Amino acid sequence: MIKMEKVTKVFKGDVVALRDVTIDIGKGEFVFLVGPSGSGKSTFIRLLNREDVPEHGRIFVAGRDIGGLSGWRVPYLRRNIGYVFQDFKLLQKKTVAENVAFALEVIGKGPQVINRQVPAILELVGLSRKMDRFPRELSGGEQQRVSIARAFVNRPLILLADEPTGNLDPTTSVGIMRLLERINEIGTTVVMATHDSSIVDSMRQRVVELDRGMVVRDQARGVYE
Amino acid sequence: MFSFRYVLRETGQNLWRNILLAVATVVTVGVSLAMFGGFMLFQVAVDSATARWQDGVEFIVWMNTDAGTDEDSSVRNQLDESPGVERWEYVDRLQSYEEFKEFFEDTPEVLEIFTAEGVPPYYRVVPTDPDPDGVEELGSQFKGKPGVRTVTFAGDVIRDVQNLSNRAGRVLFIGSIVLLGASTLLILNTLAVAIGNRRPEIEIMRLVGATKWFIRVPFMLEGLVQGLLGAIVAMISNSLLRNYVIDQFSDADGLQLLAGFKVDDAAMLQVNLLVVAIAVGVAVIGSNLAVAMHLNE
Repeated sequence: MIKMEKVTKVFKGDVVALRDVTIDIGKGEFVFLVGPSGSGKSTFIRLLNREDVPEHGRIFVAGRDIGGLSGWRVPYLRRNIGYVFQDFKLLQKKTVAENVAFALEVIGKGPQVINRQVPAILELVGLSRKMDRFPRELSGGEQQRVSIARAFVNRPLILLADEPTGNLDPTTSVGIMRLLERINEIGTTVVMATHDSSIVDSMRQRVVELDRGMVVRDQARGVYE
Repeated sequence: MFSFRYVLRETGQNLWRNILLAVATVVTVGVSLAMFGGFMLFQVAVDSATARWQDGVEFIVWMNTDAGTDEDSSVRNQLDESPGVERWEYVDRLQSYEEFKEFFEDTPEVLEIFTAEGVPPYYRVVPTDPDPDGVEELGSQFKGKPGVRTVTFAGDVIRDVQNLSNRAGRVLFIGSIVLLGASTLLILNTLAVAIGNRRPEIEIMRLVGATKWFIRVPFMLEGLVQGLLGAIVAMISNSLLRNYVIDQFSDADGLQLLAGFKVDDAAMLQVNLLVVAIAVGVAVIGSNLAVAMHLNE
């Protein structure tokens, strides 16, 4: 599903974010990206979503080389990739349902699709009863559930999560991880950058460790360290 | 695929969120276009009033309605041979009648009296030197010639009207261009504020796969709406200017020169269409600059 071949990303001032990274992630895998701050985890995720392009190497998503993708095709790539943020990025003036519907509306889905898919996804994340609430009326965990619902409502092939439990307490984090696990079980490939060792250790999924932009460990059913 | 309802809703929300800035933009666009429209309308009115005296024509040799070919040839020969004449133009009886009808279109009682046979043909003469004394002397040579009815001169009043109109027109024109530039910048700024207010939404839109145009169109439509509302303000102003200023001039008693000071419906339509076209142009330029500078999809 995701393949990187000798990918190098250098930022201004010769800061090397990723160096010669080669990795292959299969369909339906759950992969933790771990490593210290500045190790290249976020850059890894940004490259997969074509928010950035590498200086060297090639990246394939669902068999397509996304480096050579023309600008107008990038949105169509992103429709196959859900994105979950550490700080949720919910629109404060929209309700839970409207936040989720927004993701469908802006890719041109009609009211029929929206009215069918939004309640279904809110049911999945356990927020059916709070669909008319505003983000400020929700707890951090609930807000992250809305963010996941928004990322998954279009049933993407891949879900990228950048520190999704970074702002949550341990108990709430467990709930979020159960939700991501459930989405993974449906067949969605999940790539999650995290610093949370307890989560990584408890889930025993594939762990890719980055250090100064290089893959220093790639372990099936791994642990944080 | 675009959702028409979505685009309209977002455009409306953008306008409403920055209503004061939007109103300021519409007023500025309106005032600048009204100035431009005013400039155009006055030009049309002055051209209409001084139609016979355009392009440096300093005197007109009016022929008798029954002037024969020999008499006509004699005048032409003299015009051709005179070193003081730069060029001349013959307006035959039918053309002269058409001008006459246009000039008196608002006074049918005059039109009823005259037919094409009663309207004289004439020569419009451009002298090499526009000096009034020289022109007077040159024109007088044609007075009393066989077939010549009379010779009329542009005179100071017409030249003054044309000069004043040219000067006022230049001021209005330059003023309107400056204001149109300001309008473009104001549209750009209004959209920049709208884009800034919606930054979080735009980021989400990008990441969930909204196309570049899906993100851009509501902002560009917002600019277009502001431009078109400004054009409506200008068209209302044009209409008031025509009905309450220009038409009043032409109705003024005793001022023969101002009898033709008017703007007909066709010219009014042309000016209004031009105003709308400029409004669209200003909006498109302002909007494109704003999205190019502030929307990094």
